[in-house]
Amino acid sequence: MPSLKQIAHVFTRYGNLTFGGGSATIAVLHQELIERRKWLPEEQFVMSFALSRLTPGTNLLAFCTSIGWQLQRFAGAIVALLAASVPCAVIVVLVTVAFSQMQSNSIAQAAIHGAVAAAVSITVNTCWTLAKPHYKSGSRLRVVLIAVVAFALHVAAGLPAVQVLLIAAVAGFLLPEKKR
Amino acid sequence: MKILVLYLILLKATVTSFAGLASLPVVRDELVIQRHVLTDTQLNESVVITRSSPGPVGLYVVSAGYFVAGLPGAFAGWLAMVTPALLIIPLLLFAGRRAEHPRVKAALQTVVIASAALLLAAAIPLAKDALVDYMTIGIAVASLALLLKTRLDSLWIIFGSAAVSVVISFLPLLKMG
Repeated sequence: MPSLKQIAHVFTRYGNLTFGGGSATIAVLHQELIERRKWLPEEQFVMSFALSRLTPGTNLLAFCTSIGWQLQRFAGAIVALLAASVPCAVIVVLVTVAFSQMQSNSIAQAAIHGAVAAAVSITVNTCWTLAKPHYKSGSRLRVVLIAVVAFALHVAAGLPAVQVLLIAAVAGFLLPEKKR
Repeated sequence: MKILVLYLILLKATVTSFAGLASLPVVRDELVIQRHVLTDTQLNESVVITRSSPGPVGLYVVSAGYFVAGLPGAFAGWLAMVTPALLIIPLLLFAGRRAEHPRVKAALQTVVIASAALLLAAAIPLAKDALVDYMTIGIAVASLALLLKTRLDSLWIIFGSAAVSVVISFLPLLKMG
């Protein structure tokens, strides 16, 4: 079991470097927590992710809080939440103060340009990272169907994300996969 | 403006929204339209700032808080941002005890797959915004290939892309000089 210090280290290092949506950070944390450090099983990671999407506010912070809780209960949750939110908040304050200078700095602008382009790919890749564990023989049609319906409800029918997720939760609850 | 009031207003915005900028309409309505302690320009700037600095997009409330009341305002924004995250603990206790139940399992699985689809939907406007020329498209394609084919840390992909972008943008200048 990792110590509070180790939890603080991982979430400070990997929880604060998000560009263009928390999804990229989830992918980085997956790599770090599951594949490299093996701190918790995949199912717990997935449960944290699903619940964080149903928690109000910034999903990424709820996610980090949940992982912290599973590792070290309340202390772990608080440490993970602080580690994932204080450094980036301090940076935002500094940038807010220095904003006028930043706008005219062409090197910073070019760097941001490139980082944001990479963030698009990281986001797309995360979709696959999320769906892949469920995409196994016998469940493929189910996975594709859920994804297509969710995408259509959100993009074509204009339903807010949280409503789509609640519908998904209810649908999954009512129609569990049959045991083979 | 009292810091506690600012905190409660921002909390009202964050606790009733479920993603990044979804809380923005409440913040704008309360602080810009009703109380006149923030301008639309400042609110836009706070969004741009969080987009171009690390951390989740929800951090814009920290920046907006700073515009309203300086450092204490930024603190109120941070607190309003982190408070709702604690709500996941009761959710976890509730779902965790039932995690082996096939219906709960199926519900969580369906939510994960649906959010993968929503993420793809979210990537579309992001791509429109970010992929504006051959260089950015090239960076995105190369990044995706690296992500799918190698185990390279995405941290390095972000730093690498930033570096490539800086080098390409300043190459013509170097030649001229």
